[in-house]
Amino acid sequence: MSTGTPTASSSSTPLRFRRNVARLSAGQLDNLRQAFARVYAISDNRGYAYHAGIHGLPLPIGCDNAHGTPYFLPWHRAYLYFFERALRDQVPRAMLAWWDWRTRAGRPGRIPAAFADQRVGAQPNPLLSGDVDPLALRQGGNSVAARTVRHPGGRLAPPLPSAREVREVLAIRDFQSFTAALEGLHDRVHMWVGGHMGQIPYAAFDPIFWAHHAMVDRVWRLWQLAHAGARPPAAILDEALPPFRMTVRQTLSVTALGYDYAVSSASTPARPA
Amino acid sequence: MTTKATTSALELPDLDAGDVYRADLVFYDVDHSGPSYEGRVFVDHPDADEDTPRDADHGYAGSYTVFGHNGCYGDEGHCLPDSMFRDEFDRRLPHPLTAWTKTVIATDAIRRVVADPAVTAVTVTVVAVVPEDDVAQGTGDVLRFGSVRLLTYQDESLADGDGED
Repeated sequence: MSTGTPTASSSSTPLRFRRNVARLSAGQLDNLRQAFARVYAISDNRGYAYHAGIHGLPLPIGCDNAHGTPYFLPWHRAYLYFFERALRDQVPRAMLAWWDWRTRAGRPGRIPAAFADQRVGAQPNPLLSGDVDPLALRQGGNSVAARTVRHPGGRLAPPLPSAREVREVLAIRDFQSFTAALEGLHDRVHMWVGGHMGQIPYAAFDPIFWAHHAMVDRVWRLWQLAHAGARPPAAILDEALPPFRMTVRQTLSVTALGYDYAVSSASTPARPA
Repeated sequence: MTTKATTSALELPDLDAGDVYRADLVFYDVDHSGPSYEGRVFVDHPDADEDTPRDADHGYAGSYTVFGHNGCYGDEGHCLPDSMFRDEFDRRLPHPLTAWTKTVIATDAIRRVVADPAVTAVTVTVVAVVPEDDVAQGTGDVLRFGSVRLLTYQDESLADGDGED
């Protein structure tokens, strides 16, 4: 499961690809960092605080029914879609990247360097941490730090999912069992990272949230490719995913949303004849 | 922070271990308003705690996780699912704190106890383990659930049958 298999698109606009964060080119990573830095600086509904706050605090907008329900995968696909659009409003070539958190023998889990480096040149790394919305802090009783922190692999934290566990989840055939199992692996990543990521109200203020959920979304994409026609229950397909202007059905095709997953990519202009 | 709960005895199915194709422990009405935790599930091991090895000798069956809200935010009543007036015309989604159902596939653990003909019922112990973190964790009970059900499945293609034909 090293890559998703893109399907043909009839659109004249080429698909964009979310890539493995460990394999981003220097330019791709720079685009991502620039986009984060720019949305951090915006305080209205184009900015980082607005999008991160949708996942929990501040109220009144929240991630109602986005966890522990069949809406988990569709809701978060919509969430990433709209946040990625906000990033691309600032840096059009920026795309979210996925953190492959699977562990293997001899390859223990760790935070990717792109998100762990303290500095990029002389500047702070915008993917290391983010500011928590002051209103979220107040509503939460000022119980967390104003800037996101992590405690990866802390004592009593569950382990990151293994490659074998992800394979087992991908082998599940019905959507309800698949989404419940994948959400369980997702929970473990939140708890393994720790800090703000370990709590629903603040998790999305940590920039690694988006790379984690891009991986979750990618696993769903791979499952869709492996189990053609398998989809969420019919009863919820036309339900909206508030606060997003999107239904469950509209999240089912990533290519219809203009993106797909790749391990890496490179391109070159055509040679002149 | 660790809390635990042990159920009353759950009756085991009258099956041979080899006939148990799959066994699930299903936890109903799982509260998720508190901190995130891993619920480690042990069969017939009421003394289990966070240091208990997760292996067959100690009845370990598996775990479930809760990505928690870590407290209640909002005005009075905001976090009470029953505070919403609901009727058949209500098109709103369920309250965000509506309790969850969590399933632990416990096939190996149930096969082990079923294999002993002297054991006809078992307890289930859940040890809720909250990762150590310097981010403040909410107060109150971490572990709350309404009931547990043991579901066992038999692969009919492997069964001898009950003499229907």
